[in-house]
Amino acid sequence: MAIDLSFLPTFAALSIESATMRKHRFDDITHEATLTSILSASELELSGIRETEGGETDPAEVIIEASAAETILPFPIGTSGADITASNLIGFPEGTAARIPIEVAVADTRQATQLAVPLITALASATAPTDEAVGGSNDATLPDAFVPSFPPGTVPESGVQTPDVIVAPGISAEGALLDGRRRPGDEKVLPDPVTQTNIGAVRPPPPSAFPGDPEFPIPDRFRLASNLGLARKEKFLDPYNQNTFKGDKPVCIPTDEEVARRAAAGESKCRTPKFLGLKGDDWFFVLTGVSDTIVEPRTFPIPVSVQTTERPRSNDVFGKSQSLVLAQTFLFGAALIKGQTAYKPPDVEYRALLAFNINYVNVPERRVLSVKPSKESNRFDYFLGVQELFYDVHWRNVSDRYDFDSFRFGIQPFQQDFRGFLFNDNQLGVRLFGIRDNNRFQYNLAAFWRLEKDTNSGLNAVTMRPRDDYVIAANVYRQDFPVVGLTSQVSVTLNINREKRQLEVDDNGFPVRPALLGTTRGRNYDVTYLGYSVDGRIGRVNLTATSYAALGTDRNSFFTDQKAKIRSFFFAAEPSIDINYLRIRLAALYASGDSKPFDNVEGGFDAIFENPIFAGADTSYFIRQTIPFAGGGRAVAINGRNGILNSLRSSKEQGQSNFNNPGTMLLGVGVDADITPKFRLTGNVNHLWFENTATLQALRVEGSIPKSIGYDISAAAIFRPSAIQNVVFRLSGAVLQSGKGFRDLFASAQRQKRFYSVLFNATASF
Amino acid sequence: MRVTKSISGLTAIAFILASCGGGTNSTTPVAVSPPPTSPPTRAFTVPAQESLSVADVQQVMAQAITEARARNMPATIAVTDRVGNVLGVFVMVGANRSLSIPNAPGGATFNNDLQGLSLQAPAATASDTGAGPSAAGAIAKAVTGAYLSSGGNAFSTRTASQIVQQNFPPSPNAVGLESGPLYGVQFSQLPCSDLSQRFGGPAMIGPKRSPLGLSADAGGFPLYKNGVLVGGVGVMGDGVYDFDTNILDVESKDEEFIALAATANFLPPAGITANFITVDGTSLRYSDATASGFRGAAAPAFSTLAGTVGNLVAVTGYNAATIVAGSAYGSENSGIRASTTTEFANPDAFILTNGSGTNRFPVRAATDGAVTAQPITAAESRALLEEAFLIMTRARAQIRRPLDSRAQVTISVVDTYGSVLGVVRSPDAPIFGTDVSLQKARTAAFFTNANASSELLANPTPRIADMMRTARIFFNDPNAFTGRVAFTNRAIGNIARPFFPDGEQERPPGAFSPSIQGFSPFSVGIQSTLITENIVQNVLFILGASTTDTPQRCTRSPDVIPGQNRLQNGIQIFPGGEPIYRGNVLVGGIGVSGDGIDQDDMIGFLGANNAGLRLGANSVGNAPFAVRSDNVRVPVTGRDPVRLRYVGCPFAPFLDTAEQNVCQGR
Repeated sequence: MAIDLSFLPTFAALSIESATMRKHRFDDITHEATLTSILSASELELSGIRETEGGETDPAEVIIEASAAETILPFPIGTSGADITASNLIGFPEGTAARIPIEVAVADTRQATQLAVPLITALASATAPTDEAVGGSNDATLPDAFVPSFPPGTVPESGVQTPDVIVAPGISAEGALLDGRRRPGDEKVLPDPVTQTNIGAVRPPPPSAFPGDPEFPIPDRFRLASNLGLARKEKFLDPYNQNTFKGDKPVCIPTDEEVARRAAAGESKCRTPKFLGLKGDDWFFVLTGVSDTIVEPRTFPIPVSVQTTERPRSNDVFGKSQSLVLAQTFLFGAALIKGQTAYKPPDVEYRALLAFNINYVNVPERRVLSVKPSKESNRFDYFLGVQELFYDVHWRNVSDRYDFDSFRFGIQPFQQDFRGFLFNDNQLGVRLFGIRDNNRFQYNLAAFWRLEKDTNSGLNAVTMRPRDDYVIAANVYRQDFPVVGLTSQVSVTLNINREKRQLEVDDNGFPVRPALLGTTRGRNYDVTYLGYSVDGRIGRVNLTATSYAALGTDRNSFFTDQKAKIRSFFFAAEPSIDINYLRIRLAALYASGDSKPFDNVEGGFDAIFENPIFAGADTSYFIRQTIPFAGGGRAVAINGRNGILNSLRSSKEQGQSNFNNPGTMLLGVGVDADITPKFRLTGNVNHLWFENTATLQALRVEGSIPKSIGYDISAAAIFRPSAIQNVVFRLSGAVLQSGKGFRDLFASAQRQKRFYSVLFNATASF
Repeated sequence: MRVTKSISGLTAIAFILASCGGGTNSTTPVAVSPPPTSPPTRAFTVPAQESLSVADVQQVMAQAITEARARNMPATIAVTDRVGNVLGVFVMVGANRSLSIPNAPGGATFNNDLQGLSLQAPAATASDTGAGPSAAGAIAKAVTGAYLSSGGNAFSTRTASQIVQQNFPPSPNAVGLESGPLYGVQFSQLPCSDLSQRFGGPAMIGPKRSPLGLSADAGGFPLYKNGVLVGGVGVMGDGVYDFDTNILDVESKDEEFIALAATANFLPPAGITANFITVDGTSLRYSDATASGFRGAAAPAFSTLAGTVGNLVAVTGYNAATIVAGSAYGSENSGIRASTTTEFANPDAFILTNGSGTNRFPVRAATDGAVTAQPITAAESRALLEEAFLIMTRARAQIRRPLDSRAQVTISVVDTYGSVLGVVRSPDAPIFGTDVSLQKARTAAFFTNANASSELLANPTPRIADMMRTARIFFNDPNAFTGRVAFTNRAIGNIARPFFPDGEQERPPGAFSPSIQGFSPFSVGIQSTLITENIVQNVLFILGASTTDTPQRCTRSPDVIPGQNRLQNGIQIFPGGEPIYRGNVLVGGIGVSGDGIDQDDMIGFLGANNAGLRLGANSVGNAPFAVRSDNVRVPVTGRDPVRLRYVGCPFAPFLDTAEQNVCQGR
């Protein structure tokens, strides 16, 4: 009875390989799986796996010790896997021993096992071609690693009642794979590099070799689709089909020739400005437009004004806590790029991105939004910021695979680690970056002169003098290091701050540099951040982790007015696992706090400009909301907006780093659920602590402040009505269930223990 | 009439003062009784009874002289004990004995009160070391060091400078922020105070007055002996009596180095100096001078210096040109001692004593029965003091180390006449709060009184009446200060700042304040104008220009009963005083001083509240909600009206609970 075995995925995969190719590729290592005996249909015994050349067999990988003699082969040695079908095996009696040399594409015995098994299964099936055997006891012999399944809609031709999915014991229907899908495994060793040698191959003849053929009908490949009638007519507002303004086609160059051609052809004029002096046919123009709308009602502990209050009977430090933020940001960007970007790195890029932000905030107390207590407690403001303005020049390619070195000058985005814990900003700088080894090695070498930020929008204020603050950053990435699937990054970041002599007051009248902490004297500091980060996966576990040591000198600790060493540390990790449409995340973060405020060591970790995508990011209450450090520092916040570190800065945007801080600890769990391609739900539960409250105690003259900040519980729904990123709605809500430390520090007139943050965000982009 | 004009004529007056040779190394033994053993129920540790001996004072002086010589800045050096007795004043040969106070920031045309005052020394005598006005400055500095400090905090005159200016801290980057928390404290311990004692009175009892109030001019430090606060030292050398307008820079001031050098061997315990103490996260400044900057070598014996490099001098009304040993704080002799159970129920309490065992301010009933239908009873006075004392006992200190120390303050209760109905304090409360708590109680009671307006208008000092008229315009209310609004010290302070609301730049001043061009810690408006004449009278008395000292009752406010006005130790314009009501009727005031201003506010406010709860219906308590100052909406041009805060209670106020917003709803 013939049984079609093609549904066995790995078997099929093996059979695709031609014998020649295998030999060609895997000459050096050959694995053998030996079927020593087929005792019965239900008792299949695999004797062992061993390497025929080189290396010792790992005993752990051997399933059953080799025993029986290699006697009868059902087909000659060297038979390709493709040639083995069940019909080859029919007629061999029980007890037949087979020896099947299998040349596999891995130098890994376990994988060899996996590949061997289907063959053996095939043998087994063939020797016991009964209906019961197929769907019944035979399955019990399948190793866990072997999980065959049917492609949807296919039914074995035999008509045998085979279940849709053959499920091995211990594997649920959820765990089963769809046909053709692979689940990332724990690959310790990469496949060897692919080198193609095509001996005897000849080049295809040039077009000119066919004089009879018509000329190429189009000047470049970008017009191929439209010439074939596959592309819609270009519309300016349609970014999905070919659009010259989205860089899908090169811009026209107003050469005399082109102008004449267009005039002759009756096409529209070439409007590319001549003064740009563009030459060549590979200049692309990309327009960007984004609208970002935020509606954010929230509560947080708001101190009443010292001088006057919004309402009578405000007898204490804390007032009402409800507040509303409305913000609308329009981003307009344009880029001019030379080079066929889909095929190789661009040669030159000019890019500009402007952000116009309109914001409105309403709080229930005075002197929160402005230093002036007579001002009403709401504020409307707007600002135009320059978020990108750079020139990128492709210096050189260093390999056939476009490994390259490139320079970028100007205001550019930069993120020092995978999750933006240290420096994640759009800043004025110069950067040398490139890749090597077919992009498995990447590097950056950058220097930034930090721009001043607008107080209420957080955007770059280019009309103000840049800060006396410099960042020199270097990093290298290595893919698949130390294990396959994981990218490692080593970084060194210098932050040199020379703002000792600056007095900076923000737009609302609050001093930001130096912060009103301690002696309030100006200070300079030099910090070197030594970082190691990983991002990727280990087996099925996704992992991102970052660690930093911040070492340096604060020239004037605000507690002592003396020079102090900076010795602080940071570690954060987020392991996660994907189970079907769910991603389950754990989050852990440790940022050291200062334990002795009045000594000459500052042990609190602070970043340069954090924007962490971690533990729920701005969905989370504590990351999103800023908590004013009432009683402990005027115009000083416990943490920054969209920041996780309890850094006691005057402002995340405009303040100096502060290493006299209580540090942060976080443990959390989260779930991302892709319910449909259009709809994602996210939930996070984090618990936060101060690492050491000594600095808080000194600044508040309050001993015994507990560490616990509390539980931060948040949920977010992301809706993409068209299943694309261009229109995204997000609604999130977070609650901070305050812990003992938080309650010891803060309260509100309503005496609530819970503070909430709701964030509605609508983004539309072109 | 401007007071400064009356002074200006003095500068040419020559004075002859006897120069008395010092240097008698008499070591009068000081009776130091062992600290009373505290029963375990006590909340406070009583400071050990330490005092400065004559030898100690000589050592302090010798150390100062040595540094002054090394710096080539001959100086006037004063040493006091903790309760303000002047233990000796030494003037070095060649010392600048004058004292000049800077003009108003806007220039001399804005000068008021003490601004621009230039006091020249009397003409030289044979030894050239008579006391000059610098002695008054040195004494004020020494008193400041002693009075602002305690076993939990060591504050200097530089600390004082930091907390009395229009912005806190005084620096370019705090422009726009509120004023210093102790704004106005310099006009306490006044030479005219009816609470403060005078030289020549019974024994060594304190608290003694200061000729110039408290000082903000660097060069005054506390002195500690065996870790216990025993006094203060003050140095005048440059003839300029001013303050530090910018805390950010590091001043190198000889006076401060000399005074700091004087404190060697009498240093505060580690960790309690001002720089370890923060207010709203801003640390206070103890000294810009550091020991590493000392130029002087080890000090020789005082006997080798006195009579050669200078002399002990007499300062009329303060010291008789001899070194005397200090009193031991806490002893009967010091004027402040533990209360007996009959004097006050709480065993932790300290009271003011007359040196002969009698409580100077026993808890008593009000004296204003003539005008008040139901005056405060003795039981009510007692309840107010006891409940406030209890709140203090629970309260977390703002200005004391180690962290989580208990707040320590002085509490005073007055009736509507300003008569004292009782003064109690914790064992180690800073001395300055004694006089200040009474000022606060009287201030709240006075401005809430229906007669405040008429009495201000009737004040013989013309500028006082002017300010009252200004207040009517300011409030847009012809009936301002006629008893319809309950004013706390915080509320009065709000309108006695050079900006209204406080700290807001480019706003005109409050009704009771000069403009910012006219403001300095020497002229703060109604507070200083009320008592400038008293200070001047005392200075003239010191200098011998007048034989009449200022009366022991400040201000020329009209008498409420013969021989008594409502403001007999001046007013105070920083928070910590509340009016006391019975129902809708003002019956008195409570004042608290010695810790953070929010703590002061809370102790008086909750004390009054709890006394009312304890005594039941129709008893004393806080003002009804409807009349409190925070209902007043002061019009501000182009902006929302501004309320006058009534009280401001602190964050995390109690040591025994984690409660917050404890004054809410009360």
